[in-house]
Amino acid sequence: MRPVLLMAANFLREHRWPALLLCVWIVLLALAAAALGRRYAVPEDVIFYVAQQAIFICVFSAFLAADAIHNDRKSKRILLVLSKAITRSEYLLAPLVGTSAAAIVYSLIFDVCCLWLTDRARMPSAGILPLVLLVMAGSILAATVALFFSTFLNPYFAIAATVLLFTAPGSLHLQHHAWSAWLPGFPILIRMIDFKLGPDATIPWKAMLIAMAHVVIFWGMAAAVFNRKDIAVPVE
Amino acid sequence: MPGVLDFDNVSKDYGSRWSRRRVRALDGFTLSLERGEIFGFLGRNGAGKTTAIHLALGFMRPTSGAGRLLGKPFGDAATRARIGFLAENVALYHRPAAKLLRYYGGLSRMRPQRLELRSREVLRQVELETEANRNAAKFSRGMQQRIGLAQALINDPELLILDEPTSALDPLARVAMRELLLEANRTGKTIFLSSHQLSEIEMICHRVAILDKGRLVKLGRTDELLISRDRYEVVARGVPANSFEQSALQVRSFPLADNLGPDGRVQFIVPASAQRDALERIWSSGGEVLSVNPVRRTLEEVFVELTNKGSAA
Repeated sequence: MRPVLLMAANFLREHRWPALLLCVWIVLLALAAAALGRRYAVPEDVIFYVAQQAIFICVFSAFLAADAIHNDRKSKRILLVLSKAITRSEYLLAPLVGTSAAAIVYSLIFDVCCLWLTDRARMPSAGILPLVLLVMAGSILAATVALFFSTFLNPYFAIAATVLLFTAPGSLHLQHHAWSAWLPGFPILIRMIDFKLGPDATIPWKAMLIAMAHVVIFWGMAAAVFNRKDIAVPVE
Repeated sequence: MPGVLDFDNVSKDYGSRWSRRRVRALDGFTLSLERGEIFGFLGRNGAGKTTAIHLALGFMRPTSGAGRLLGKPFGDAATRARIGFLAENVALYHRPAAKLLRYYGGLSRMRPQRLELRSREVLRQVELETEANRNAAKFSRGMQQRIGLAQALINDPELLILDEPTSALDPLARVAMRELLLEANRTGKTIFLSSHQLSEIEMICHRVAILDKGRLVKLGRTDELLISRDRYEVVARGVPANSFEQSALQVRSFPLADNLGPDGRVQFIVPASAQRDALERIWSSGGEVLSVNPVRRTLEEVFVELTNKGSAA
């Protein structure tokens, strides 16, 4: 596990500026929603901020992960890394661990910002924790799916494919079907969009467990594809 | 007995199976590396040298054939803990040199205590100990190459696979690198060295393989490879330098005659087919044959001859 943690730390270090930028972005937008020249935050602004940031964190996590393999292959740094006693699956696990760590940090900052905003808007904060947990699960899943697509697609196409996979069921109005809960990412996305603050909000254990199962499945598929990949062939 | 690195009839094609632009980079390549040797791997650009190295390290899979690295099939991750690899045009992360070495050592599953000692040791070996805290990615090309070699040595490997290790080095650094490789070999490491620096290969390699268009065109001990069996050097004494001028043979045989030494020694280069005739002429003109030896060629001559032959074919 130590090599994976080393690579994950290195991955985060390599991406520290965009990762830090998102942290700043979350805080800046919270400040903007809270202030904007008013004495109190407006509930509509808070709700918009919460839903928008939740989705944004997931999308950013996907961006972060989708770039990992491509970057290393393009710079040929991957050659020295994979010449060590590292399996391809371990190599793939590193950006996932790194992105997950970043997602947890984002979620915590997001949590603090949400609590502060709801307090300023005099709104109940009971629904924040379930949402933050959903953001964590959603970010990790988005990163895993993007990583899977990036094993055989350019990072931009990998992001597009991830967004499509998560949102296409919504376009097809599949949210009313009972089995839509088993689609990757989609139930989390719906919950984020339909997010409401209130005392009746519960922790969505089922959605989170399904998301974690999808993480394992997509990581397994990514490893299977990447294991067969000629990684020394230059990428564009 | 399996070698340190074995290729068994390995072929590698680039491009999809149905593509018209499918290129065969390696064609039925068979080779076995012996433990403790320095092996020179030569070929023109695009001959398939790097492809062979990448296959051995498991970066790609052969289209056909198979191979073994330290007795395990290509691609076995645990085996790679026992090898060191330096890529051509090494690319490094933006980290201080010492930390970068510890990072690569950690990926080779070395213990932190040993890693600490070892990183200092290899930095000293590549003469970069004073640069340990500088960002390695901002080093000059030559320094990066040396850090590349340091990361290859960090885990004290049994086998070193080096792809163009001296390509960016100045002459002094090249000499230092050569000494380093010889020292590594003295401590029992097997070295697989792909290079365009033919003089270097000639100086340090025990065996050499020449690859052309994905095919192995020559394999053998360096000293044997350099001995020409079709030309001989004849040293004689007491022969007038112009004694062959009337011979139709001398036009072909003795244009290289030179070195009329102070003691009347004359040195000739003759083709194998004319060797007997030349010796008879020396004797008949009253001269004395001092030595007849096969001509030692340079590796460059051998390389050009073999690869040009391939091109002509």
